Parts: sequence; C-alpha cells; structure tokens
Amino acid sequence: MTTPDSTVLRQHAEQAYAHELSALERHDDRPRPPRWNLSPHAVLTYLMGGTLKDGTEITPKYVGERRLMEIAVATLATDRALLLIGVPGTAKSWVSEHLAAAISGTSTLLVQGTAGTSEESVRYGWNYARLLAEGPSEAALVESPIVRAMRTGKIARLEELTRVQSDVQDTLITILSEKTLPIPELNAEVQAVQGFNLIATANNRDKGVNDLSSALKRRFNTVILPVPDSLDDEVRIVTSRVAQLATNLHIPAQPPALEEVRRIVTVFRELRAGATEDGKTKLKSPSGSLSTAEAISVVNHGLSLAAHFGNGHLSAHDVAASLVGAVIKDPVQDAVIWREYLETVAKKRDDWKDFYKACRAVS
Amino acid sequence: MISIFPIRHHGPGSARSLEHALSQLQPDTVLVEGPSDADSVLPFLARGDMKPPVALLGYVNDDPARASFWPFAAFSPEFVALRWAAQAGAAARFMDLAAAVTLAGERGDDETDDLHSDPLRVLAEAAGYADFERWWETLVEARGDDFDVFEAVNEAMRAVRADAPAPAGREAAREACMRQAIRAAVQGGAQRVAVVCGAWHAPALDVNAFKAKDDAALLKGLPKAKVTLTWVPWTHGRLSMGSGYGAGVRSPGYYHHLFTTRRDVTERWFARAARLLRQERLEASSASVIEATRLANTLAALRGRALPGLDELNEAALSVFGWDSDLPLRLIERQLVVGEALGRVPQGVPTVPLAQDLTRLQKSLRLKVQPEQSELTLDLRTDSDLARSVLFHRLNLLGVPWAQERSVGGRGTFKEAWALAWKPEFSVRLVEASRSGQTVLDAATAVATEAARNAGTLAELTTLLEAVRYADLQGALPVALTALDARAAGNADVGDLLGALPPLARLARYGDVRGRGDGSNVLAGATFRTLLTRAGVGLPLAGVGLADDAAATLRGSVQGADAAVRLLGDPDALTGWQAALNRLADRDDTHPLLSGDAVRRLRDASVLDSAEVERRLGLALSSGVPLEVTAWLDGFLGDSGALLIHDPDLLALLDDWLTGLDAPAFQETLPLLRRVFSRFEKPERRAIGETLRGTMAPGRGVRREVDAERALRAVPVVLKLLGVNA
Repeated sequence: MTTPDSTVLRQHAEQAYAHELSALERHDDRPRPPRWNLSPHAVLTYLMGGTLKDGTEITPKYVGERRLMEIAVATLATDRALLLIGVPGTAKSWVSEHLAAAISGTSTLLVQGTAGTSEESVRYGWNYARLLAEGPSEAALVESPIVRAMRTGKIARLEELTRVQSDVQDTLITILSEKTLPIPELNAEVQAVQGFNLIATANNRDKGVNDLSSALKRRFNTVILPVPDSLDDEVRIVTSRVAQLATNLHIPAQPPALEEVRRIVTVFRELRAGATEDGKTKLKSPSGSLSTAEAISVVNHGLSLAAHFGNGHLSAHDVAASLVGAVIKDPVQDAVIWREYLETVAKKRDDWKDFYKACRAVS
Repeated sequence: MISIFPIRHHGPGSARSLEHALSQLQPDTVLVEGPSDADSVLPFLARGDMKPPVALLGYVNDDPARASFWPFAAFSPEFVALRWAAQAGAAARFMDLAAAVTLAGERGDDETDDLHSDPLRVLAEAAGYADFERWWETLVEARGDDFDVFEAVNEAMRAVRADAPAPAGREAAREACMRQAIRAAVQGGAQRVAVVCGAWHAPALDVNAFKAKDDAALLKGLPKAKVTLTWVPWTHGRLSMGSGYGAGVRSPGYYHHLFTTRRDVTERWFARAARLLRQERLEASSASVIEATRLANTLAALRGRALPGLDELNEAALSVFGWDSDLPLRLIERQLVVGEALGRVPQGVPTVPLAQDLTRLQKSLRLKVQPEQSELTLDLRTDSDLARSVLFHRLNLLGVPWAQERSVGGRGTFKEAWALAWKPEFSVRLVEASRSGQTVLDAATAVATEAARNAGTLAELTTLLEAVRYADLQGALPVALTALDARAAGNADVGDLLGALPPLARLARYGDVRGRGDGSNVLAGATFRTLLTRAGVGLPLAGVGLADDAAATLRGSVQGADAAVRLLGDPDALTGWQAALNRLADRDDTHPLLSGDAVRRLRDASVLDSAEVERRLGLALSSGVPLEVTAWLDGFLGDSGALLIHDPDLLALLDDWLTGLDAPAFQETLPLLRRVFSRFEKPERRAIGETLRGTMAPGRGVRREVDAERALRAVPVVLKLLGVNA
C-alpha cells in the first residue's frame, strides 16, 4: 500500500480508515475465511460502527439496516458474488468500496462498467508491441483487475454492471461459476485462489437497458439498498455531507437552516414514497430517483445561491429553483405530478406558505 | 400421576413434542386449557370431516356481538392433544374458566403483555433468537428428550414467575379453575392425567401447593351469562391477524411447514418456494434452492444461531430469488408464510350468531323465508320498508343473495323491487360470513371495509361506495372514501377519476337517498374536491392522442363530472373545474371532440362570451382537416340542434365554412356532417334548414322588434302554465 498523500482530493477507504482497520484486526479473534483480513463479524462492525475493547471508535460507514449488511457479508463468505442494487445515490459504490477494503485490504481492483467496456477490461488484453515481437506469452499479457484479484485471492469490484453490454457481461459467467479464466492463446488458465470474490453494483433505473442474462443473474446474490428509513436519518446524512462539502468547496454561507433541510428532505421522501409522511394522502412518484445524494446537491446549490446572491441565509427562495429541477426530470409527466403535489400537499401546510409561493414562482 | 405440559399456544415445536410425549405417557385423561363448558361440542373434534383451522366460538345468547373465539390450527398443541385423546380413547376435557363466566364479565384480556401471552418467545429473544420455534427445535435436538424440555420450561417459568406479582383477578380465577379441574379428574379416578396449558400457567397448576378450599372460594359467585358454544371454520389469514379475533400468529403457513416437516426444514422450505415461483412463471432453479439454503445457514451462523429462522429464510429468499424486485418474496409471504387455508366443520354443529341475528331481523321485519321466489316492492319513504331494503343490501354485500334487486318501473328513487328466494347454501355462507362479524351490520361493515382495502380499480371502489351507501354502513363509509382517495392518487386513469365523481357528489349533496348521514357528507365533499383537483390536473393531458372511441368515452365521463360539479354547487370546485376545461380547450393537441365539448360547456356556464366562442369556432373550422372539424362540431353541438337554431351568428359562421369548402373536401365532409346532424331531432333539423334558406329573405332566425302590446297578452297564459297565481 502506498503512503496516503494528504493533498489527494479523495483518499481510498483503506487509506482514510487505516487506523480503524488495523485496530479491528488486532482485536479480531473470530475465525476468518481464507485470505480475509477480518472475520465476517469484524467486517460488520467496520461497516455499522461500534466501539472496540480498547476504546477505539469505529465510525459507521453505512447508515441503515444492519440486516442488509449482514446479508452482504454472509454472501461474500459463501463465495457467491454480491450484487448491490439501488437507485443512484443510495451508497452502493460506497458500500462496495468499504467491503473490499475491510475484507481484502484494497478497494482498488476496480473495473468501471460503461457502455464501452470491452471484454479486454474484464478478462485480459495484450501488450501489442510484445505480442508482435515475441508472440503470445505470459509476459505479453495485460491482466484486468479481476484477473489480478483471482490470482491474489482478493475482492474485485465492478461498478455499474448493467451499463456493460450483455456479451461482455457474460464473460463473467465462467469466472463466477468455475472460478477460472481460460487463456486459449497460451493454452493456459488462471485459477482463482481462495478469497477471490466479486462485488458488482447496478442501478435499478437502468432496468431494461442491458438486463443480466439469467445464467449470470443466478451467480449473484442481490442486496437492494433502499433509501433511508426515517426522516431524521436522512436529514442527518444530508446536513453532515453538506457541511463536509461546504468546507471542501469553500462556500462562505452560514450552515443551512435545519428547517429548510428538513423541508427538502420531506418533499423528496414524500414524492419518492408516493405518500405523505403522515400516510394520509397518496401521491404519484416522479420519474427521477430523488435520492439522498440529490437532496444533498439541492441544499448545496441553495447554499451557494444564498451566499453569492442572497443574504447568506438559506431560504425557500434559494432552494426552489434547484428543487424543481431535481423533481421534474420528464417535462410532461413530472410537471403534472409536481403541480399536484404543490396543490394538494404543500399548499395545505400552514408553515409552508413561503415555500409554496417560491415553488409556484419557478414552476 | 399428574404430568404438566407447558406449551406455547400455536407453537408447532411444542405440538410435536407434546404428541410424542403423550404417546409415550399414554394418559387416561387429557386436560386442555379452554372453556370448560365447551365439553359438549368436544366430540365433534373426533369427526373425520372436522378439518383445522377451526375455532371454538362462544357468544352470549341475547347479545351475539359479545363473542369470543378460541382458534385451533393443525399445529396447535391443544388441538394435537384433543385429537390424540379422541384417537387413543382417553377422556378429554377443557379445564379453564367457562365461557359463560368469561363472557359475563367485562370484556378484557388478562394476557395483555407479551410475557403473559407468550413468555417462551420472550425467553427465546433473550437467548438471541428472533424465531422462537427454531429455538425450541435446537433445545429439543440438543436434549433429545421431550419430557426434559417440558420440565425445563416449567423450571424457567417458575423462575420468571417468582419475580412477577402474584396473579390477581381474572388470572387468579382462571388458575384456580384449572386446579379444581385437575383435582376433579384425580378424584374421578384418573390414573395418569396429562395437563396441557400455556407455559405461563404451568407453575401455578401444582395442586399440592394450593388449598382446594381457597380455590373454591375464589370461584364462588362469579357472574354467569347464557352462552352458546359451537365450532366455526377458520382461516390461516385470521390466525395471522394481530388484533380482533386473530391469534397473532404471524406465520401460520410457516408453522404448518415446521409441524409437518420432520427433517431438512430449510431445504424443503426453499424447494416449496421454488415450486411456487415456477407455478407463477418466475425463475427459480434447483441451483437457487441450494444457494438460498447456503445463504440462510451462513446468515444464521453470522448471527450466532444454530438454525436459520423465518427472518433468515425470508432474507435469503429475497436475495437469491428476488433479483431486483420483492415480488417473489411477497408471493412467498402470502402463499407460504401465511398460506391461506380454510377449515371445515362437520354438519350438525350449532349455528352461529350471525344466522341468529338474521332470523331475529327477518322476524321483526316480517319477511318470510321460503325457497320459492316471491316479489316485493318497497316504498323507501316508510321506515319498515327502508329497513328491509337496507337488510337486503347488506346481505348482498355478505355474499348471501337472498334478495335480488329488480328494475322498477316509474320515476322516483323511493321505489325498489326485490325478488326473494332462500337457498340452502345460504346457511353455509352465513357461517362463513360470521367470521367477519356477529351481526348483519357488523359483518357487512367488515366485509365492505375489507373490500374497500382490497379493491383493485377505481371503478370497483365507486360501485362499492354506492353499495355501502344503500346498505347504510356508516362504519365502512369513511374507509371506502379514504380508499377511494388513496386509489385516486395512484396512477388512476382520468376517465375513472371522472367516473367516481357523480356518486360522490350525490353522497355529498344528499347524504343517502333516505335522508340520513351528515358527518359522511363533509368527508365525501372533501374526497370529491380532492378527486376533482386530481382529475382537473390530469384532464388536459388525458385529452391528447386519443382514438375517436376513447375520446367519446372520455367525453361521457366529462359530461357526468360536469353535472356532478354543478350538482354540488361549490363555487371553488366549479372554478377549478372550469379552469381545467379551459386548459383542455386551449391545447392544440387535444382531441377535437373533447375541445369542442369543453368550449360548449364553458359557453353554457357563461365563462366564455359569445365573441370568444365564435372566435374559437372559427379557429376550429379553419383547421382544414375535415375529420377534425366534424369531430369538433360533434363535440360542440352535442345532441341538440337548438344552439344552431337560436344563434344565427353561429349558424352563419358554420354556413360560410361549409360553402367555402372545395369539392373533394366537401364530398368527404358531407357524410360526417350528416352524422353530426342526424343526432338532432327531425323538427330541429328542419328548423335549421328553414333558417338557412330564410337567410336570403327575412326569416325566422332574424331578430325582429318585439311588439310589447302583443307580447303582454301572452303573459297571463304563461303564468297560468307555470302555476303562478296572477
């Protein structure tokens, strides 16, 4: 592992939380699966947070149901591949990074799935200069991160699996079922050593773009990461992330008024859930995902508006524009839904008058 | 010798251990916790055509609404013990307080908290098990001896009860009663007595630790009511309900699986799940069954449990079978975890209170029950006929179509005609319906409430709302209205939304036809306004891209809704509705039939003045696509030609357009135009024609000065016609 450099914009999980990982490893006396740095139990503690015997505080990495993380860790322990599904902004990549860091000590064996991801980046490619000079040989082989993970018995990560085209996806089948990767050019194969596994993430808004073949589906256990359970949880996530980002981006505004954040989160939650928080009125859900991450960006945007053009305090007026933009993704259907929401819900709340007016003004 | 078996109510684990223990012990008398006056119906249990789940029902004779159920499933230890006794020829008896006593007192549960009603689950939770049944299994498997387990539970309960306050009130009486029953059995000469009771009571049933005299004193002078006890069929769904008459067993199907599966519980569970999913054409391979089993086992290990419980089973199923939806899990929950099953009771069991309530009503309303059909015409203005009509409507809701409504001639909403015929299977349906309530009113309310919650479409709910209104079910009305509101918010079709408005408006305006109900009117009005707002928002979009027949359907709905809005006469609602019509008419891409119709409605409501209407007509007629023009006219002119007769400017505009068409377009338009005009009455058509011809010379359509003197002469005649005394 390279030494962490404090000037990098973002550190890897295993660098940022190195002290927690080493403390966990010291106190871990439970059985570990082969080549795991920590026992499944300690991995859970790393994700959900807790206090160790010597008083080391482990910060929670995932705010949400413990049950889900238990399924994820148990899946990896049964050597089945893990697929994390969720709408954008529900911490899929975040969880996968931390799982890999806790189990293998590295989260960098990563393949980013895109529409242009080729078979070479999933399996192996060739160093063509060498290939031409020497012919096919081990030395001319360029291994993908997944092959490296197979050789070293570590966790590989594949982001946005459903963006990858189906024929490329299917190259994973042999790797996941036979745990081997044939290299016909060399008449050789790479056999995965114990400890190898794959964590993939997929966005369920991509449904129907590149659906997984049923043969591949069968190799994965899926864990669906939901949006936060309670209003307070979500407000907590939003305010703490906004505070972090504000210092990074040097936004001079006051910290956001909790009331305003709470209102935005409420709007997001109600539209997402298709019902008001009190459960009395049913609503339609717009086509956008309305994740916590988007709520964070709405607050952030509102903050910078307030700082540069307003009086420095976050008001309904500052958030209205970006809120409407976040909700209305489809100009026809979503506009109707948003209008209905404003008229049937927002208008009736006495302390939402300013908010209602601000939103009516921009939509 | 007295052996006490502390069991968990509806616990399959204890049921199986109990069955095993009984066949080893071979008792000659089995005492079971249950109302002791139910001994008379106990013999029915031994009958082969008695199929669990069933429930013992006790109700007070003159007030059937005061009733209690004691449900038994195949996996209930009580049922297992009674069945065992019937088969082995041992005497079986209930030993708890008689239902006559329980039902006489104030209604109240003595087993209010978890510790009382299910102390074993509390113990299991303390041991880290979310699922008690698997804990029992680990216990039994670890010890290998069923007797020991019961003894251990007894010990644990003694320890738990040592810290709890001494039983008082009902609980003390119950335990005294059970002790007395045990003493009576021993005095009656029983050699080996098996006592089956809820775990909590076990330590208190040690007859030597209490004095018979004290117990007798406790039981003396308890009030008693006249009660009837009988068996009724029960369902797993009822067992799983936490409130009402449910037993609070959340997973009866799973328990049934545990009770009937001796080995490989997890594997068989997932195999059943896979079969179920395949039946529903969802993917579920044997490999998935293997993976699900492995995941469930690993999860259990991660949580420090020896065997996976229902939580682990569900989570593994979701993860392996579920892919990215919870549909498979929902299927599994409904079909396997709850596992709908309906019990059956043998013929000859006493009847249920619902049937008795009906008999009482039939008597008081002087209605004859006879198999042959008879006709009955009701005048709803009289109280007794109104009560009859309400009864018929309620019975129909209950699925007992004793009376069927016939169409009635003549105008007026106060007349109803019914055809009455009683069929034998109605008695069975009554027993089934009795699961919903003990009186016709209660049962119908419960059924309507349930139907409102389960209704799939808005149209169903609208129909239901009408039925509820006729059946005068005040309890179900708010639920139906709320459900309507909720359903409307989902992806409801605008046509359906509009269709729901007329009955709501009637409800809000008139209460029901029979002049009752005021609280619901306010609620109905509120629901009406919400629905109208939603329909209004969606209406402009709904009018886009429609086929001709779909547009005609929607126009019908708009017409109904328009009448409903005007009926309610709420100015705010009216303004909102007219704004929606305006938006509909303003859109270029609205189906022309609808925009024509909207313009006409706005004109009738004087929202648009005649200049504006003419502008719009001219605009529509200038579109140049003949089919669109005729559709627009179709909508605009509607079913009456009167507009054209009395509005010469409009007619002139139309005339100009028609004569200005070139020959091919004219040929194409003519049949369509003819279709528009053929809807008008013949005299109207003639009048239009005459007006058109008359435009050359001064004719009927031209405004002339009124001769005041001549006009005045007609006034007295008109007043007389209108019934005004001049």
